[in-house]
Amino acid sequence: MNAIVTADKVSKYYGKQAALDAISFTIAPGRIVGLIGPNGSGKTTTLKAMLGLTRFDGELTVLGMNPRTQRDALMREVCFIADVAVLPRWLKVRDAIDFVAGVHPRFNRAKAERYLANTKLAPDMKVKAMSKGMIVQLHLALVMAIDARLLVLDEPTLGLDILYRKQFYQDLLEEYFDDDKTIVITTHQIEEVEHILTDLIFIRDGKIALSASMEEIGERYTEVMVEPQFAKAAAALAPMTERTVFGKSVMLFDGASRAQLEKFGELRTPSVADLFVASMKGTAQ
Amino acid sequence: MNTMKWLIKRELWEHKGSLLWVPAIVAALLVLMVAAALMLGHNVTFDGVNGPTTLNEVTIEGRMRVQIVQGMAQMYMVAALPLFLMLGFLVFFYCLGALHDERRDRSLLFWKSLPVSDAMTVLSKALLALAVTPLATIAIAIALSVLVLLMAALSLLVHGTNLFGDLLTAPDFYLTPLRVVALLPVYMLWALPTVGWLLLVSSWARSKVFLWAVGVPLLTGSLLIWFGKLLNLGGNNAWFMEHIVTRILLGVAPGSWFAFSDIHADTMIDEATQRIATADLFAASWATLGSLSLWLGVAAGLAMIAGAVWMRRWREEN
Repeated sequence: MNAIVTADKVSKYYGKQAALDAISFTIAPGRIVGLIGPNGSGKTTTLKAMLGLTRFDGELTVLGMNPRTQRDALMREVCFIADVAVLPRWLKVRDAIDFVAGVHPRFNRAKAERYLANTKLAPDMKVKAMSKGMIVQLHLALVMAIDARLLVLDEPTLGLDILYRKQFYQDLLEEYFDDDKTIVITTHQIEEVEHILTDLIFIRDGKIALSASMEEIGERYTEVMVEPQFAKAAAALAPMTERTVFGKSVMLFDGASRAQLEKFGELRTPSVADLFVASMKGTAQ
Repeated sequence: MNTMKWLIKRELWEHKGSLLWVPAIVAALLVLMVAAALMLGHNVTFDGVNGPTTLNEVTIEGRMRVQIVQGMAQMYMVAALPLFLMLGFLVFFYCLGALHDERRDRSLLFWKSLPVSDAMTVLSKALLALAVTPLATIAIAIALSVLVLLMAALSLLVHGTNLFGDLLTAPDFYLTPLRVVALLPVYMLWALPTVGWLLLVSSWARSKVFLWAVGVPLLTGSLLIWFGKLLNLGGNNAWFMEHIVTRILLGVAPGSWFAFSDIHADTMIDEATQRIATADLFAASWATLGSLSLWLGVAAGLAMIAGAVWMRRWREEN
């Protein structure tokens, strides 16, 4: 399978500050990749580089194209939602659909209208009269009706309440995603996306801290509810983190053998959020 | 081509208020004012050969009649002068916001998520400033002028003189609007440096677009004059102000070409009738295309538009 995105030593400097420090990764087709990192870690810069919105050093190929020089062709195959508030205030629902239908060869008007029929959006409504959630619905309706091979979502649900957030990810899976498509998501709300992700990329200080599929993570990382009597023995195996839940110690291990850990207590696959916190803490300054 | 059609529509959706409705409303107000003046006032004054002639209850015949019909048919679009003055302002402020507003509200990222090139987008905005907006104003101006002319003729009819037949058969009645439309290419060429400069500033300035667009050239021009005087340098200190600053700020005003070229409107006045004929104005306008400084400005305008395209492609907001 050809990779959808290949990054080789991509760097980006703002002055002397490195936003991206020679990162390399690949994204395979048909995956839903979570690009996760703290604020200022380089998530958005990575996405911008992929979308040809920023200059960078190194090699980056998206769908076989160079985002620096082939941006216009790339945008036929790639779609993105950059931030919730990017639809212009004067735009009407009807005009938005007409415009995208007019300029995008892969836009399916019927699909967008079908999706909008399930919302409170009326054709004559202007963006300035919409709530934040409705704007995202409109944007999603436009984007989901485009048959793009790669969809990039940068904090797509920022500022939305929980109902809209759940709906958003549900629609994304049901209405949009299939084996030919690839989705890259950045978000702070890890808990809400972790069940839909197939791959994780943790990014920290402009470097990749972890890049693995969810299966690999399940195999590699284990969380143990350590029985008190084994606490010392478990701690000797150098857990990444240790926290206490209801008086029991919960330890997170990287690459330790499951057979060995089973003796200490109940085993679990760690949540992405716990894993994220652990890997960010590991090498904190 | 299809994409360009949608880009133009997009601009009209956003700006129809200022670019279409404002001139239409101003035109409607002008019509109302003229109508009120004609109904309330009973005197219609014309500048004739022998000074002003006041018509109250007179029938105009003979040479006088021919002259009046000719004058009205040639000059009736003067009624739309306020609209053409306004056009300069509309185009100016449209260009200032054209590439800045989308960056300020971050809708730029939405437009950039669609397969539309930066060159195409900037070109659509330049076209809207140089062609679509002037054409809309011209269309409204023609409607306004015809209405005013017909009202004036009606008013004369009330006073005993029927000029309708003569007016409607006068070739100039039909040629005058055509001449105005045919001035569009002249306008486009002379407005290019200003449109280019404003689009460039609009694509580049982080904020205070007006200040950058107007302040920087004015300040530079003033400093050059001041330094020239201070250091007592030879040559024309005001050259920059006259040939650069005015060209990049005032080019969008219709008729600016008479100020910028050696061809002046007042040389067009017909000695016999003391009247500037639109046909002569038209010829004089096209004659300005012979000046080198026009074409230098066109080249500079195109270069600045290319600069705006580059800016839209690579400018990063932090």
